[in-house]
Amino acid sequence: MPELAFESSGSALPAESAPVVDETDLIIETRGLVKRYGKLTAVNDLWLRVPRGAIYGFVGPNGAGKTSTMRILTTLMLPTAGQAYVAGYEVTKNPRAVRRAIGYMPDYFGVYEDMKVWEYLDFFAACYEIPESSRSQLINDLLDLVDLSHRRDDMVDKLSRGMKQRLCLARTLVHDPQVLILDEPASGLDPRARVEIRELMVELARMGKTIFFSSHILADVAEICTHIGIIEAGRMVMQGSLESIRRQLAPHREAVVTLLNRAEEAKSVLSGIQGVLAVAELPEEGGRKRLRIAFEGEDALLSAMVQALAAQGIPILHFSEQTQDLESVFMKVTKGIVS
Amino acid sequence: MTEAEALPRRRGGWFFNNPFNNPVAIKELRGRMRGARAFIMLSVYLLLIVGFTLLLYVISTASQDVFGFSSGGQVGRALFTGIVGLQLLLVTFIAPALTASAISGERERQTYDLLRTTLLPAHKLAIGKLFSALSYLFLLLIAAIPLQSIAFLFGGVAEIEVLIAFVILSVTTIALGATGIYFSAAQNRTLAANITTYAMTLFITIGLPIATLILTLLFSSLLSAGGADTSAEVQIALLYGLVALAATNPLMAASLTQSWLINKQSAFFFYETVTSTTGVIQVPILSPWILFGAVYLLVALILVIRTVQRVRSIEE
Repeated sequence: MPELAFESSGSALPAESAPVVDETDLIIETRGLVKRYGKLTAVNDLWLRVPRGAIYGFVGPNGAGKTSTMRILTTLMLPTAGQAYVAGYEVTKNPRAVRRAIGYMPDYFGVYEDMKVWEYLDFFAACYEIPESSRSQLINDLLDLVDLSHRRDDMVDKLSRGMKQRLCLARTLVHDPQVLILDEPASGLDPRARVEIRELMVELARMGKTIFFSSHILADVAEICTHIGIIEAGRMVMQGSLESIRRQLAPHREAVVTLLNRAEEAKSVLSGIQGVLAVAELPEEGGRKRLRIAFEGEDALLSAMVQALAAQGIPILHFSEQTQDLESVFMKVTKGIVS
Repeated sequence: MTEAEALPRRRGGWFFNNPFNNPVAIKELRGRMRGARAFIMLSVYLLLIVGFTLLLYVISTASQDVFGFSSGGQVGRALFTGIVGLQLLLVTFIAPALTASAISGERERQTYDLLRTTLLPAHKLAIGKLFSALSYLFLLLIAAIPLQSIAFLFGGVAEIEVLIAFVILSVTTIALGATGIYFSAAQNRTLAANITTYAMTLFITIGLPIATLILTLLFSSLLSAGGADTSAEVQIALLYGLVALAATNPLMAASLTQSWLINKQSAFFFYETVTSTTGVIQVPILSPWILFGAVYLLVALILVIRTVQRVRSIEE
């Protein structure tokens, strides 16, 4: 009997280590946030909801208002209207409390050329009022985390772009913040450095940090996010967990089965299963028969379909649920406009 | 949890916080003294003063007749005045160079946002930058004291003159440093901050002395021309006007202080006799360097406070 292969294109986080997210416990929230620069409205009535423990991908085209939103959340900019809360604190009223709760990495940032790697972290630890006695161990731990222990005594300007990005990520962690706000953390990095940053973000989520990051790279977002928010022309066009968004966009679930032969027989078997809405034949691929199954139900129904086909001795080569990739979600909900 | 519970603040006024507890000051000092740059600048500074001192010495001793130096004391005074003048000139150029890029440089280097999202208070950022720049400038001033002291070998210079000169140089340094920091915070670009700081510095060290010199000459001539015919009120007003003008810039403050030190033998306070038709009045006069010091320190304080406000402000 051919080997069965089940696939799911969900989060890359293994189920046992994926953060448990309470959708009602929000660590970042904006209510009708507006930011205007003269006549230009960069953020327009934005209602952002980031649950504690989530890896939240903030996605949108250039000029959509991502950076403006992040600058408001990080207390660097005042909103024109509306409120923004981070860790329960209103950003304009309690900026100091917000700064203690966040670790921020902007899209473009500089480093001090005349500092060593450990001095860089020591300086920022001092800026966060970490006592001098505990800084040395903290720096060692952070350098271990971002895999830069071997560059501890090197000058910062001698590091590669990817290493600087990792060092900056370590900097955001010196005061053990609850939430990391990362603006385009993977932009300008080579593929290897991108993967390293992505893995670090997953690791940090496992450590209990909420990660709120913006990105243009949808593959990165789809790979690691538990939640996404899609912003266009300053407005949130869709947000929620990846699964809920997929469900909203697709009224039913879909699976595709690849068979060695006996497609007609498989079609009638599948059509007889309760919950299966429709079965359609797809064009053959390399002589293999393919069927698309539209269904409504839980995962047990997928299992029942496989069992029913196997019970009839129908030779299955491949069986997988089709999930909408983030690019198709993005294309479906955005109109390609910027503010 | 309230913010007060979550965020214990340090006690004590921010202005009096220990600067060595300031991460920005430590970082800047560490960076400034790392490598050869700081030592090269110090060496060049001292070599310039040494060269100038030698030149003054050679000229004043070899051409005593030409310049009318009749005693060793006058040679000593010429050396001292020349060295202090050169120090003032050098500080005028170095202070803006060290401070005008302090905060605008953070913006250009794209590290400003990183700093502003930490718990570092705005005053620590401004004071730390100013403190580190002033520390280096004071190193330059102190390093040149032995050269100033060469004048003692010739006589003609009192210890109090050296002290007053150091105070005037120090206050000028602090005020120019504060000016640089202020424009650095007020301007987004270092180039603009440099231009405005140097423009202000040149106005203080060249423009104001020229303007006040003209007015001083006018006041002095009015005082001497009118003599006893001028009313006491006008004479007193002109006298105080003279002190006030001298207090507007370091050059005039230093020269008038020195002049009164020689003529009135007082470095702090003395009575000037004003003679008029109504009689003779003793007018109390404060030596200009004291008023200059007070005015410049006050201006420096205001500039630092404005800098802190600028840094603290959130982009709108």
